[in-house]
Amino acid sequence: MRTKEQRAAAWRYWPRLLLIIPFALVAWVPFYNRIEPTLWGIPFFYWYQLAAIILGAMVVMGVYFLDRRAGFAADGADRRSEQETDDGTGPGGAL
Amino acid sequence: MNFDLTATIVFVGLFLFVTWVGFIAARWRKADLDQLHEWGLGGRRFGTVVTWFLLGGDLYTAYTFIAVPALVFGVGAMGFFAVPYTIMIYPILFLVFPRLWTIARREGHVTAADYVRYRFNSSWLALAVAMTGLVATMPYIALQLVGMEVVIGALGFDTQGFTGHIPLIIAFLILAAFTYTSGLRAPALIAVVKDMLIFLTIFAAIVVIPAKLGGYGAIFDAVPKAKLTLKPPSGDSLGEFSAYITLALGSALALFLYPHSLTGILSASSRRVIRRNAAALSAYSFILGLIALLGYMAIAAGVDKNPLHADGFERYGPNFAVPALFLDMFPSWFVGVAFAAIAIGALVPAAIMSIACANLFTRNLYKEYWRPHCSDAEEARVAKIVSLVVKVGAVVFILAIPQSYAIQLQLLGGIWIIQLLPPILLGLFTRGFNAHALLLGWAAGTAVGTYMAASRGFVSSIYPLEVMGLTVPGYAALYSVAVNFLIVFVLSPVLDRLLKQREPLDQDSNRR
Repeated sequence: MRTKEQRAAAWRYWPRLLLIIPFALVAWVPFYNRIEPTLWGIPFFYWYQLAAIILGAMVVMGVYFLDRRAGFAADGADRRSEQETDDGTGPGGAL
Repeated sequence: MNFDLTATIVFVGLFLFVTWVGFIAARWRKADLDQLHEWGLGGRRFGTVVTWFLLGGDLYTAYTFIAVPALVFGVGAMGFFAVPYTIMIYPILFLVFPRLWTIARREGHVTAADYVRYRFNSSWLALAVAMTGLVATMPYIALQLVGMEVVIGALGFDTQGFTGHIPLIIAFLILAAFTYTSGLRAPALIAVVKDMLIFLTIFAAIVVIPAKLGGYGAIFDAVPKAKLTLKPPSGDSLGEFSAYITLALGSALALFLYPHSLTGILSASSRRVIRRNAAALSAYSFILGLIALLGYMAIAAGVDKNPLHADGFERYGPNFAVPALFLDMFPSWFVGVAFAAIAIGALVPAAIMSIACANLFTRNLYKEYWRPHCSDAEEARVAKIVSLVVKVGAVVFILAIPQSYAIQLQLLGGIWIIQLLPPILLGLFTRGFNAHALLLGWAAGTAVGTYMAASRGFVSSIYPLEVMGLTVPGYAALYSVAVNFLIVFVLSPVLDRLLKQREPLDQDSNRR
């Protein structure tokens, strides 16, 4: 049995369920296996999948930010350990 | 093919520049390169930007730039599977690999086999993981040479016979030398140069070429209608639909199990760096989508009907489509830039792959079975030497054995590497799976996958699975890993009772 705290901790990760969206965008082939409507002469099959790359990237980025916010809202001990290993502001910063 | 002097001068100039970059990389973020994690993982200190270039250079190889548009050029829509594939890899990267990074960092793991050894306390399973990684990566390195050889040939060098291979051998000697001295720092720095050249080339290509061919509408009008979309299901077969999506999903699941991808991931400085890159690397996917479209531009430009290129197509097949397109569309000096981008695009992954193989061999074979108590310096020295051996092996492979074997082995490599998914995924996210069951699952998955590819004569990885009268053609890797998972789930509880299992070393694997 999971304790209440464990359930709350798991709930913290709900935004990750959104990561199913990129898969859903391309999973059903008959949906995008068509030529019309074309965009600047590019068949639907091609421009839709190129657009799906951008949508997928936006979903992953959104999950990243939601995840981090949830991370900061969580208990202090967790946050401290996150910052120690995870802040990327150590020597070199972004590089 | 005519020898193109201007293009060759630009090409050689850029090549010399990255050679210099490769050697000075040893002094970048100076550290003791006699430590395996410093030489082979860049000290795990790469931040978001460097990791972006490193992983981008690692995953999108020269062979990708040649083979994906070649597939689109040859078979059409099916070749576009690379796009849903790159859409699926990033959620997987985001969810699974930060966790592996955390454990690897804490325990000092350098390879996937290190992790499996620690998590399941089974040296057999670790051996299986290490061997699979080695065997799957070797032909991949050889394929990078194929990509390089096509552009060297397109510059007008005669690549037949031994003398024809000299440019390739020189390029690989340079690669071997700077990998030896600088380790993972070299491809990380060179990847920055490579990406600048690739982006420059692609942006020029998507602007200049459609303008010359009369716009995107004209390009797609020139492509035969049958090539533009996938063949819909007919009768009792799902046709190309199931093949398309299983190929994308199977390739996506396999990608980060390759040793060279893991090397890139483990060299990141934090979990957050990996997560940021899961979003940011999509920019690269978009570039790949555009590169795939080059195949159609080559059809519209009629490169295969140009008598100048007849020789090239005869020698390299559809792989010659993109070089031929660049030769027709760009001025000589820019052809040099574009070809250098592709050739340097071969150096980066080849370097990382050979480092990954060296890490695997040293950690999981040499140290495990020959010299358990070897010093850190000896470990690093062995890894450096192995990285040389691996590259010599790749060159010999390409020179001595027909190219088609390398392609077939790489195809099998994808099927083999995906069998590492159960131990790593179940190891990271569950408890209580039996190491013996995982080993049996791995063996069965490998056997089934190899059989499926063999039944297609090793030329295609699409296996026509019969399910109750319905034929579902799909990627053999995905089918075989399903068999693998099934065996693990069924046998794990059984074997837990029969064989007393050793306690996992990793007691807190459920920690987030």
